[in-house]
Amino acid sequence: MPRNPATPNAQQQGRLLSEIESKQMLAQAGIPVTRARLARTAGEAARISEGLGYPVVLKIVSPDIAHKSDAGGVKVGMDSAAEVHAAFAEIMIAVKERQPEARIEGVAVQKMAPAGTEVIIGMSQDAQFGPVMMFGLGGIFVEVLKDVAFRIVPLEPRDAREMVRETKGFAVLKGVRGQQPADLDALEKLILQVSQFIEKHPEVQELDLNPVFAYPDGCIAVDARIVIAD
Amino acid sequence: MKTQAADTRPQRETIQRLDRVFNPRTIAVVGDKRAMGYMWLRCMSTFPGRLYSVQVDPNEIAGIEEMGIANYKSLLDIPEEIDYVVCAVPRPVSPRIIADCIAKKAGGVALFTSGFAETETEEGIVTQEQITQMAREAGLLLIGPNCMGIYNRRLGVRHSGDQEAGAAGKVGFISQSGTHCINFSLFGAVHGIKCSKTVSFGNAVVLDAPDYLDYLAQDVETEVIAVYIECVKDGRRFLRSLRAAAQRKPVVVWKGGVTAAGSRAVYSHTASLTTAPAVWEAAMQQAGAIQTENMDDTIDVVKALVHCKPAAGRRMGLIAMTGGQSVVITDAFEREGLEVPLLTPSSYEKLSQFFNIIGGSYRNPLDAGGTIGMGFVPGNLQRLFDILEDDENVDAVAMEVGASFIVRRLRENPAMLDQMVETVAAQRDRSAKPFLAITHPGHAEDVMCEMRRKLLDRGVASFTSFQAAARALSKSIVYWMSQAKVD
Repeated sequence: MPRNPATPNAQQQGRLLSEIESKQMLAQAGIPVTRARLARTAGEAARISEGLGYPVVLKIVSPDIAHKSDAGGVKVGMDSAAEVHAAFAEIMIAVKERQPEARIEGVAVQKMAPAGTEVIIGMSQDAQFGPVMMFGLGGIFVEVLKDVAFRIVPLEPRDAREMVRETKGFAVLKGVRGQQPADLDALEKLILQVSQFIEKHPEVQELDLNPVFAYPDGCIAVDARIVIAD
Repeated sequence: MKTQAADTRPQRETIQRLDRVFNPRTIAVVGDKRAMGYMWLRCMSTFPGRLYSVQVDPNEIAGIEEMGIANYKSLLDIPEEIDYVVCAVPRPVSPRIIADCIAKKAGGVALFTSGFAETETEEGIVTQEQITQMAREAGLLLIGPNCMGIYNRRLGVRHSGDQEAGAAGKVGFISQSGTHCINFSLFGAVHGIKCSKTVSFGNAVVLDAPDYLDYLAQDVETEVIAVYIECVKDGRRFLRSLRAAAQRKPVVVWKGGVTAAGSRAVYSHTASLTTAPAVWEAAMQQAGAIQTENMDDTIDVVKALVHCKPAAGRRMGLIAMTGGQSVVITDAFEREGLEVPLLTPSSYEKLSQFFNIIGGSYRNPLDAGGTIGMGFVPGNLQRLFDILEDDENVDAVAMEVGASFIVRRLRENPAMLDQMVETVAAQRDRSAKPFLAITHPGHAEDVMCEMRRKLLDRGVASFTSFQAAARALSKSIVYWMSQAKVD
């Protein structure tokens, strides 16, 4: 997952949960995430993929790797058991080459979600206000243009509504070049669900849903990262 | 943010007790000195209640008694209850005075004394800790230390000898800085803003910004609250109080130390981490507070909130004196997010019957110099007002009062200026639409200053530039419309 440079006062304290653990915690709160399962071997990855249905995505699971793509730890769009076998091996080779010291637990296998408009929902700690939520469109909007909206937790419906609308990227969500508009109600609901989740779990120090795929009908977080206080 | 279901009893009790401090019947000043020009006792010369001095130095006592003020050697010797104590003793003596305030069951004390944690010296930090503990344990309402305490215009309780005393004003001010607190009341007075109650709260060791916000939110005298703040200790509590206050009345927040270098200055003052500007802005937006950047901006917005009626929309009817001014007044209002629409056909029909279009035009803006200025026809200004009043495309009216026009009028027929002020003030009073005037100083600063004051005296919001007027009105409209839950 790309680093989120717009998150202010980011504190890397506490324990980083794996993607699988993070998504479990979020799914329990009813937050829409693609479920991921751990495979320790290529054979296990293929078996899980058969059960989920294709196409699938494989991502490295390691407590030492926060930015999985940078480490060569992500493969998308595998359509068969054979492709899953090959992808598993490629990931292991790439990660060992780029981050030889990293402890590796295995690979997270998940069904590949259809592409949507990428948005990011995050939370970090502010010295004065505590948990602060962030919303923005993925890619250059957040990373280069720092085009993000902030709100202090807990949020009210009005806050979620304003947050989605106050970034420049909102124009993209409304639909550009013949694209259908994104489901804004679903995004607002997701933002409020995350706010409630943070309130219910004061131990959560940092959270990133990056990316969330926004569709004309609904939305889903396809990657998640949670840092828990020690 | 959700309203917390927390126990509000301590909050209500603090409000009740603060009411005694903000509305004292008796005041004691401890440690005033000739070297300070007996500043505190002189500040209280406008206070009609009973004023006492506490001073042990015989050299000082003589000077105090010469002023006709009863002096005692100790707070405890004063033969009645004391509602408000101002303490100006040197820091090492302050714990003893705090102990006396507690024993005396004083309503509250403002510690003008400084040299505490803000100096980052060990003695300062330790003594601050000591007086904080004492006051907290005893439930003493301690304002400061390192502060100027309160100003109540109606009761003549002042913290600067230059401040006005008299009828109650409508604007409360809460300030982390003593200078800004005093200046707001002084600058405000020149701009038609009278304060209800203000407080400079300094190091805020016992009472903090949320306590004063809670108090002014429920204070009936206070119709608008303005805040100067550099940092907050408990951000979530501050936001809760801010949001609750903003739901009852407009709250303007001027944050100091927003830039990176500015926040470094705050850090060296308060040793607290500051928040990224974008997060602070989001927090203010969430709380429904109006944000300002400096004193002028704050004064302008408060002026619009106090003098202009709440607006129902963003559409302006603009009156200017010349073609060039018509163009730039329109740009100024549009730039601040307001609209300058075409008027209704019925308005145009009425205008066509008398508007002088030689060197003028009336699409909106109304370039009205020839109609109400040079070729002055009595009654024309009132006719313009009536048309804009009835026009359903117009939510608010702004009028340029140009320096050239005023200076010429002053030379030719000064009585006409008073007549104009009268017409404008009457319009402001009878119309439900916000009305404001722009009195740019131009080449005649003194004349325009006088003009602005005349208008402000009659409750007409007058600004020194189109931009200031547009920005202030725009901010106030955003507030009123969000209160009315309009997008």
